[in-house]
Amino acid sequence: MSKTARYLKAPWARQQLELLLPLLPAGAAATLWYDNKQLAATGADGADLYEGAPAVHRFPLVLESRELGQVLLRLPPGTDPATASAWGDFLVHSLQGVLEAQHARYSIAQETLESYREMALLQRAVGELNQSLKPASVAASLLKEFADRKDNINFGAVFLRDTEDGHYSVIGSFGHQAEDVCAALQASHLFAVMTGHPHGDIINDLAAGEIAALRSLMWIPLSVHGEHLGLLVLAADRLEGFAAADMKRAQTLVSVAASALRNAQLYAAEKVMFQAFVRVISTAIDAKSPYTAGHCRRVPEIALMLADKAHQAEHGPFANFTLDEDERNALEIAAMLHDCGKVVTPEWVVDKSTKLDSIGNRLDLIAMRFEVLYRDALIERYRATAAGQADAETAYQQCLRQLEADYALLKKCNSGGEFVSPEHVERIQNIAKAHWCNTQGETFPLLEASEVYNLCVQRGTLNPEERKIIEDHAIHTIRMLSQIPFPRALRNVPEYAGGHHERIDGRGYPYGLTRDQLSIPARIIAIADIFEALTAPDRPYRKGGTLSWAIDIMHRMKQEGHIDGELFDLFLAEGVYHTYTEKHLPAEQIDQVDLSRYLDPAPH
Amino acid sequence: MGNTKIAIVDDEVHIRALLEQTLEDLEGEPEILLASNGAEGLALIERERPRIVFLDVMMPLMNGYDVCTAVRQNPDLTGITIVMLTAKGQESDRVRGMETGAHHFVTKPFDPDEILALAHRILQTP
Ligand SMILES: [Fe+2]
Ligand SMILES: [Fe+2]
Repeated sequence: MSKTARYLKAPWARQQLELLLPLLPAGAAATLWYDNKQLAATGADGADLYEGAPAVHRFPLVLESRELGQVLLRLPPGTDPATASAWGDFLVHSLQGVLEAQHARYSIAQETLESYREMALLQRAVGELNQSLKPASVAASLLKEFADRKDNINFGAVFLRDTEDGHYSVIGSFGHQAEDVCAALQASHLFAVMTGHPHGDIINDLAAGEIAALRSLMWIPLSVHGEHLGLLVLAADRLEGFAAADMKRAQTLVSVAASALRNAQLYAAEKVMFQAFVRVISTAIDAKSPYTAGHCRRVPEIALMLADKAHQAEHGPFANFTLDEDERNALEIAAMLHDCGKVVTPEWVVDKSTKLDSIGNRLDLIAMRFEVLYRDALIERYRATAAGQADAETAYQQCLRQLEADYALLKKCNSGGEFVSPEHVERIQNIAKAHWCNTQGETFPLLEASEVYNLCVQRGTLNPEERKIIEDHAIHTIRMLSQIPFPRALRNVPEYAGGHHERIDGRGYPYGLTRDQLSIPARIIAIADIFEALTAPDRPYRKGGTLSWAIDIMHRMKQEGHIDGELFDLFLAEGVYHTYTEKHLPAEQIDQVDLSRYLDPAPH
Repeated sequence: MGNTKIAIVDDEVHIRALLEQTLEDLEGEPEILLASNGAEGLALIERERPRIVFLDVMMPLMNGYDVCTAVRQNPDLTGITIVMLTAKGQESDRVRGMETGAHHFVTKPFDPDEILALAHRILQTP
């Protein structure tokens, strides 16, 4: 049914003829043909009138020089032909008036409906296109608008222009062998024309085989404020090719897609810049102390490996754990920044390699004081010998041995390598009671109170105050990261990063959180942190521990409620430790790990 | 094909014209009936028993909710799908519309393709 067929409706036409009939002389009949159909008839045998029959007059119905129908009028014999044409003209005039009015109404309505369509299209497209923050998904949403329609658009592609080198790459396409078609397009001479064209165009008469099997082609540049971002190319397989209306519709969508694409590019650029900042910070932390070199670079790697395994797990405790791209990104950033609080930790604490190491090693001072005592002993020997005392030599030797033994003990305790027993503490306190005096006769204690305090630290080189300073880095990490207005996708970064010294039994720091209060990513970073620290090969004065030693210590940590047992089991069962060490540790650190000692056999 | 009559009840002539023109594109060329207010619309529905009624909410004489309620309370009138036309930004109308027994809602200005798809779907379901 043609559009114009609707302009005249049968009931109305019938009524029009009925109204006319009483005005005509008796015996008259009329019929209206429209759109190849008899729409209405009136009078005796009106339906049977045909052109060329006796006394039948024909009056064509014309709209915009096109004949759409006719009125056939039969008047009684003897009627003046002039009268007949007057009646006919009158009827045709009124019908044509209606046709023209209807035509105008339909055209206006059609135009309005098109605007409605465009508005609806825009409304939907804006929502869908702007939802995406990735160029490829903007392209996918744009192409979907064409691929989904049943109007024979059988190929589509979005080319993105590299802002650096001006090279075009395909970021989305659909259609039969779309990749090959894209390649053929880019290789054709036409592509340069297309990319250089400011507004886009239509080519409906492509030579067969010029570009794959394409016949009709339409392209529209994706540009924002005159900046050329890329190109949308569509091909259709229809006889009449593309029309201006297709172009208009596509342009509407492309204008929205272009700004969405621009946003996606800006977002990506911001993201890259942010990641670069994070990397700079984590490198700075690593560079701060030779004792932690590479730590902030390696912890994220271990953490991501373990997190990916938890994500992939289809059975067991992590079957329901998923890590989307945003969360994975947050985990990586958190792992890179987990020790960022260390920027406020004084280096002399971080690097404190012996107990008397503050700014300069105090053991050297003590050695000097011992040196004074040695000389005093030597002077005493000479004096006693001169005085003829028989035991002068023996007393000297005894004194010397005592001093040497005392100094050796202090030196050993200072290294922090061994546990300091209560007997040792007592001896240190006794040594501290000794004095030395200068040539003015002033006396000084051999060991100062702070030196005794530090030397009596039972384990490691840090005294409780220094330990606190070190531990404070965790709270500083949380404080620093909490000040960053992370976007939604990264809002968990402070929690992930700040929990790496918590223990699942609640005895960790800074908050003493328990397993349930710690997110899985936070627990993952804790494990990665410990494993890296244990196996790190490049520490001054210390060789990296062997793999089996590290695993054994961590297994004990699992049993003690320090680290998450389920994650540690996954770490072992999925071979994360293995993948990591193969890649990063020197061969001498890698030894056999007997997993059967740590993992229960899988239940059947 | 069963009943394919479609009634459009809206006081605004341009909405009637646009809806009519849109629905004329449906295959099978269903008969389209027009009414320009609620009371006239209800009379039309009772007389013609259309398959689908496109019903405006805000109308003189009788508003869309009342027409809808009257249709639903008339046990003789069954198998009529009512599509309510609501103004943009008045999504709360929908709750009330649903309570009075409307099946579908279309926001004005409507998307012609959406109207066509919806009418097509309704006519396909017996
Ligand atoms: Fe830390
Ligand atoms: Fe760390």
